[in-house]
Amino acid sequence: MRCDELEPLIEAIADGTIEPSPEDGAHVSSCPTCSARLAEARRIEQWLAAREVPQPAPAFTAAVMARIGDEKWQTERVVDIGFNVFIAAGVLVFIAFGAGLAWSLGFLTVTLDSEELLRAVFSEVEGRVISQLQTTAIAAVVLTMALALWWWAEEAAD
Amino acid sequence: MTATPERELIERCRQGDETAFRELVDQYKNLVFALIARSVPNRSRAEELAQDVFLKVHKGLPYFRGESKLSTWIYRIVINALAQERPDLATTSLDNVRDGEDQARLQPAADDRSFGDLVLRDRLQKAIERLPIQYQVLINGHYMKGMRYEELAAALDMPMGTVKTHLHRAKRQLRHLLETEYR
Repeated sequence: MRCDELEPLIEAIADGTIEPSPEDGAHVSSCPTCSARLAEARRIEQWLAAREVPQPAPAFTAAVMARIGDEKWQTERVVDIGFNVFIAAGVLVFIAFGAGLAWSLGFLTVTLDSEELLRAVFSEVEGRVISQLQTTAIAAVVLTMALALWWWAEEAAD
Repeated sequence: MTATPERELIERCRQGDETAFRELVDQYKNLVFALIARSVPNRSRAEELAQDVFLKVHKGLPYFRGESKLSTWIYRIVINALAQERPDLATTSLDNVRDGEDQARLQPAADDRSFGDLVLRDRLQKAIERLPIQYQVLINGHYMKGMRYEELAAALDMPMGTVKTHLHRAKRQLRHLLETEYR
C-alpha cells in the first residue's frame, strides 16, 4: 500500500522538491521496490542535469541569413515574372486594339485610294475609337496593375 | 557586447535591418538548437529545423504584436516545429497522460550500473524521444541554462503552478518507459 502512495512522489523526492516524511523515509529504506525506484529516479535526475547541451554549427547564423536571402530572391523572381507577364499582356491588348482599329478603318485592306483613306480617318475615327474603348480600358487597367506591381516590388525590395 | 533591448531589436528587424536579425539569431540560436537537437537525434535535420524556426521568425516578425515576450513566441515556434516533425507525439493531451498506474508494474530493473553511463544515456535518450512533445520540451528546456520556468510555462501555455507537476509526470513517465521498455 505504502509503495502505491509513494510512487507519485518519487520524482519530487529525487529532485529535492519535497522532503519525504519520516514514515516515507523509513518505508523507502526498508522496501527494495521503492528504494530501487528512488535510486533510478535519482540517476535519471543526475543524467538529465549532466546532459551536454548541443551546440549549433559555427556557420549557423550565416546559413540562416543565406536562406533568408534565397527566399527573398525567390519572391522577387515571382514578382518580376508576374510584372513581365502583365506588361506583355498589356502590350498584346494594345496591339490588338491598334490592329482592330486599323482593320475597322480599312488600313489593313490593300487600297491605293488615299482620298478614301483620309476620309475614313477623319469621318469615322471617332466612332471607331469609341467602339474600341472597352479594349483600351482593359489595356490601361492591365498596364496600371503592372506598374503598381512594379512599384510595390521596388518598395518591398528597399 | 551588450544585448540590444528586445523592443529595439524587434523594431530594427521589422525595418529590414539584417544586422539586427543576425543579432536576434545569435541571441537565440543556442537555446533553439539545443531544444530541437535534444528531441531530434539527427544533427543535420535538427540544424535544418532550427533554421526553419528562424525563417518563420523572420516572416512572422512584422505580425508579432508583442503580447508575449519574444523568447516565448520563439519557443512556441520551436514547439510547433517539433510537433510537425513528430505528429504522433504532438496530439497527446497531457491531461490524458496517465502517471503510469495502468502500465505494467514491473519490478524495477536490476541494478545495471555495470552497463555504464553510456548505456543509460542511450536508453534515456530513446525514452525521451518517445515522450509527448510538450513533455520533451519541458524536460529538455528545464535542464538547460537560460530557460526559466515562466518561459516554459508561457511557451507551453501552462499555468506556472502546473509546470512542476507536469515536469514530475514527465520524469515519472520516463522512468516507467525505462522500467518497461528499455531495460
